[in-house]
Amino acid sequence: MTAPSSTDPPSSSNPYLSDVPRDDPVGIGLRYPYYQEILERPPVVGWMEVHPENYFGGGIHRHFLTKIREQYPLSLHAVGLSLGSTAPVSDDHLKKFKELIDLTQPFIVSDHASWSASGNAHLNDLLPLPYTSETLDALCRNIERTQDFFGRQILVENPSTYVAFKNNTMTEYEFMNEAARRTGCGLLLDINNIYVQSRNHGFDAYEYIDGIDAARVGELHLAGHTERPAGGGVIVVDTHNRPVRDTVWDIYVHAVKRFGRVPTLIEWDQDFPSMETLVGEAAKARMILFEHSSGGFKHAAE
Amino acid sequence: MRLNDIQEKFRDLMLDDPAALESVPDDFAAVFAEGDIALAERLKVYRSNIVGGISDNFFKTFPLLEKLVGEDFLKQMIRAFVLAHPPSAGCLNAYGEGFPDFVRAYEPAQGLPYLPDMAALELAINRAYYAPDDAALNPQDLAALSETTLGERILRLRTSAVLISSPFALDALRKFCLEPEGLPPPIQKPTFLMVYRPLLAVETLALAEDEYSFLLDLSDGAPLAEAAGRVFDNFARFDLQNFMQKHLALETFRAFSVFAENA
Repeated sequence: MTAPSSTDPPSSSNPYLSDVPRDDPVGIGLRYPYYQEILERPPVVGWMEVHPENYFGGGIHRHFLTKIREQYPLSLHAVGLSLGSTAPVSDDHLKKFKELIDLTQPFIVSDHASWSASGNAHLNDLLPLPYTSETLDALCRNIERTQDFFGRQILVENPSTYVAFKNNTMTEYEFMNEAARRTGCGLLLDINNIYVQSRNHGFDAYEYIDGIDAARVGELHLAGHTERPAGGGVIVVDTHNRPVRDTVWDIYVHAVKRFGRVPTLIEWDQDFPSMETLVGEAAKARMILFEHSSGGFKHAAE
Repeated sequence: MRLNDIQEKFRDLMLDDPAALESVPDDFAAVFAEGDIALAERLKVYRSNIVGGISDNFFKTFPLLEKLVGEDFLKQMIRAFVLAHPPSAGCLNAYGEGFPDFVRAYEPAQGLPYLPDMAALELAINRAYYAPDDAALNPQDLAALSETTLGERILRLRTSAVLISSPFALDALRKFCLEPEGLPPPIQKPTFLMVYRPLLAVETLALAEDEYSFLLDLSDGAPLAEAAGRVFDNFARFDLQNFMQKHLALETFRAFSVFAENA
């Protein structure tokens, strides 16, 4: 992996930064173990992100979501649209999602460049895509369908994958750039996923960051991963169950220098830590954002 | 290979026997880039995420079944169900409608005849937990109606409500699972239940048979007078006034204004 070397200026013209929470661009994932604590002692973070699928319907989860939404800006980060399937995105899923968008007025709506559904089965995982023009057509059809249905732009996240395809005709960052260019969607860059990909498929994470169209980047994700021994080697798995690793922080610094003061999320979805730990990770990201970006953060009202 | 074929083959492989990962057909293996780590090892990460993730999520729906049959038995049964009937939607909250029937046919559970109905009870609790929010019928809205209009009214149950009948002692078993003291209850006992969520907490309410029968008729859309006529025909001692007082207080019915045809 090469040393960080980007000299590109922060993207002050980036249109996706207009709705960034004004004072604090760092958020945390809102998960059920924290509901009560957040209401009793609101943590010092700029915003919260949830998976909308956990809030379809009603009940206690939605009750807490609406209470917490009164205090924090919200991002809806979906895992169930299956944008990369050859089949169209489900109408039912779009309707339930739109109802939640109308209720919670999120500043970001996003999902992944991956697939989950095939035939009548929805496999509930973010599955890998070959990077070809055929895949781009399928993905773009579904991104456009989603954006048309919602009447707003979405962000699309780069995945972590454990297999790569022989017939790829472009790199992953070229694929992401092209999807954004064709559909007008923004990019949610998961820095940990870029690291996972670079280890599992042998490329340079910094080159990936440098290859991304900076003007499209609307959010960054940070998370922990796990190195899993397999077949005499190691597979790096995106587990979201531990602190962000130092190597990923290093790539994040590079990303912030290149993309500017982009909203950044600390993701943690298993083996939940204390709120103090989460807030500590958020503080670390905030320090990097403010130390390594300048003038990239413009609020619409300014 | 076309994208659609890749996705179909990948799906089938994930839902196949785990041994299938060790002998991926050559034409499908050929679509993946070769690396230092065998394809089977890399595909195992996905299989573990998919089958493990869906199973673990579904497992949490059944704390009572876990008490009754133990963690290992339940996990094995759920894994078999997930492979045979994977989710069809990208939201798992409503997954598993066919599980009680699957349990009924599941060979290792044949000695536990009450298990399918207990599975149905826990699915109903889960459904109520995630049901859309709605408002309860205000008793004053009923009091304002003339007798004729009242009789023609359709009283809808809350969106979360599920009515359950079983020849087995589901409620006693449920209570025993929650507070396992003394001997297990006798299994054979006709049971009538309503699971619903008046506000945020899910309630499981034991019903008399006539009460259950009347609620079932109402939930099928019968107007109040028609349903009352039928319940009196079948249960001469049914007390309509007492029933109405009880269920208005329990907030069993949905507010009129939320459904257009009866607003």
